[in-house]
Amino acid sequence: MFNSCVHRLLQRSKALLHVLAIAVIVLVLVSPAWGQDEIKIGVIMPITGREAKPGQYQREGIELAIKQINDGGGILIKSRGKKLPIKEVFYDDGSDQSRSAGMAERAMSSDGVVAVIGGYSTALGEAESVMPDRYQTPWITPGAGATSTFSRGYEYVFGTLSPIDLLGYTTAQYLGNLVDKGKLSKGLKIALALENTDHGVEYGHGIDNWNKEHPGYFNVVFSEKFELGATDFSGLLQKVKNSHADIFLADAHLQDYITMHRQYIQSGMYHQMVSYGARGPEADARKALGAATDYIFAGIWWSSKLAYPQVKKFNDDYQAFTGHPPDSWYPATAYDAMRVLAVAIEHAGSLDKTAIRDQLRKTELKNSILPGQVVRFGKNGQIQGSFVIVQNKPDDKVDIVFPLDAATGESVAPKPKAH
Amino acid sequence: MSAADFLNLFIAAVLLAGVYAAMSVGMTIIYGVMKIVNLAHAGFLMLGAYFVFEAYDRFKIDPLLGVLLAFPVFFFIGMGVHWLLVRRIATSDQPTLTSLLLLFGVWLVLQNLGYLIWGNSDRAILTPRTLSSIEIGPISFPTIRLAVFVVAVASLVGLEFVLHKTWFGRSVRALMQNKEAGQIVGVNVNRTAQIAFGVGIAFAGAAGGLLAMLYSFNPDFGATFQLRAFVIIVLGGLESFGGVAVGSLILALAETFVILILPASYQPAIAFSLLVVALIVLPEGIAGLWAKRRRWA
Repeated sequence: MFNSCVHRLLQRSKALLHVLAIAVIVLVLVSPAWGQDEIKIGVIMPITGREAKPGQYQREGIELAIKQINDGGGILIKSRGKKLPIKEVFYDDGSDQSRSAGMAERAMSSDGVVAVIGGYSTALGEAESVMPDRYQTPWITPGAGATSTFSRGYEYVFGTLSPIDLLGYTTAQYLGNLVDKGKLSKGLKIALALENTDHGVEYGHGIDNWNKEHPGYFNVVFSEKFELGATDFSGLLQKVKNSHADIFLADAHLQDYITMHRQYIQSGMYHQMVSYGARGPEADARKALGAATDYIFAGIWWSSKLAYPQVKKFNDDYQAFTGHPPDSWYPATAYDAMRVLAVAIEHAGSLDKTAIRDQLRKTELKNSILPGQVVRFGKNGQIQGSFVIVQNKPDDKVDIVFPLDAATGESVAPKPKAH
Repeated sequence: MSAADFLNLFIAAVLLAGVYAAMSVGMTIIYGVMKIVNLAHAGFLMLGAYFVFEAYDRFKIDPLLGVLLAFPVFFFIGMGVHWLLVRRIATSDQPTLTSLLLLFGVWLVLQNLGYLIWGNSDRAILTPRTLSSIEIGPISFPTIRLAVFVVAVASLVGLEFVLHKTWFGRSVRALMQNKEAGQIVGVNVNRTAQIAFGVGIAFAGAAGGLLAMLYSFNPDFGATFQLRAFVIIVLGGLESFGGVAVGSLILALAETFVILILPASYQPAIAFSLLVVALIVLPEGIAGLWAKRRRWA
């Protein structure tokens, strides 16, 4: 009798222990941030595939910011009464849209991150952007600039890349400025070759918008889209040639820029000004094209030549952290994305995702390294910062040529015929 | 468009066809002899590109010479892959799922090997020839495309010579036409298949080297070209080298000239439209059409 009672009691205790164990596991799984002594931030970047290079640079920018924050003890979380370090949870999306969306879903639904920074390139950013509102997790993209990503009324979507139409607008504004200075004539003809993505479309819209506001400066005589990763641009370039344009503006990814510009040079084409959108000053492009990149101008979100003290410090820190100087704008927008997120988390005072989202809407990062020195998200979640126009010069020199108050050198316009 | 522009465009298309033919022929050899669709073709294109790049970057070997060196190196790599993996697949008269999966796996391994060795940077070969052109009156020949075309045509001519004038070539053709009959007359099927696989990979490696002179590349390189190679060999008739040459020319001409009428964003659709048309109208490809004409004659 006694034995059977003890046996039953033991069995009940075991069952109770099982229930308790399951409850603890469920609690830990459901509230991963609960009781953690770190702040998990998801980072989704392509470090393999066609966007690997800029993805790697953006990752480096984020990791530099994390290192600096953690070296300072972490982020003060008032509800815990102490500083917590950031723990990066990294995902490589392989430059694949569906994988990118899948990684965002995984980070937000099961890996317990409080926010995600991800989405280099508009296409990958678009894929990820559907997840943040579904899982109510703040998401900041440092590499997707197409306005379409931010025009769907999402509440958890933010971006540190100014809109692409502003890139097109600034490009036209720069050319208009060259007309005003007498370097280019009024009424020049423009040919546009745009990649068949939101990025390309919005770049074209930006140019059209400026032209509508400033009639008489330029006429767009040719505008056509091309597919990413094309093997041959002879037909497209022939159409550009047939348009008898004076200025050639393309919007292309790095590989297409290299292929297209090689064929452009081989076919002996010349335009007074040539741009490939945000491409131009990258080291890989200059290695692939040599002096043929001289005098190409590009509209970029950031330049290491910006004369702000915080930019100089960033350049030095980045060099020390990665062993190489910043190549183009990629690490800068990512660096500031992480820093503005850290400020928002500190202001939220907790790891509550909605509180962090609310703070992101209000937060201003005042010592930003981006042009204008302030990061502030607009109503749609995207910053509206300015662009800088840079122009490649011989011997691998790159000058900021616009806006004039940030210029480090004079524009060469029209570009010499040998190039 | 002036006559000179038209001629320049035509030359560009013909030069592009040379590149397409060089990258497709390796796949045709392997399919013809072994009835295997080499899904690892893109991986070997990528390795060939890096081989020529490294030879140029480290040892200052001219890229064109590098392409010639790639032939024997990739021939032995191909023989090795056959000995290690491909020979274990059961032979069949039709492509099997096993062979597709195996070679797709090999492609993934090669891609990741590429990332391990070279990282994710975009590489490109820049020589004094890269951006120069030969001008003859109003006609312009991009030097590097011309050089690539000459090497591609020379290697195709060399292959034709080997196929028609050597015992190995006759064995290959015999197996492509009728495997059982080939065996009856004394062709060593396994040995010929191994050498044919080696030759196919040698062409893939060399074609990768040629492409490296024209495009920037990273370990993902080759997929776009592999898709075009599929279109070309289907259009050509799967097992015909002459068909590959004509298929390459048709694709290159279509891609170049249709863009003059349609927006450039339709360029990828041209290749796939050709594939669909070929499958419906010419299921046996251009080679099948020739055979029919011969029969009617």
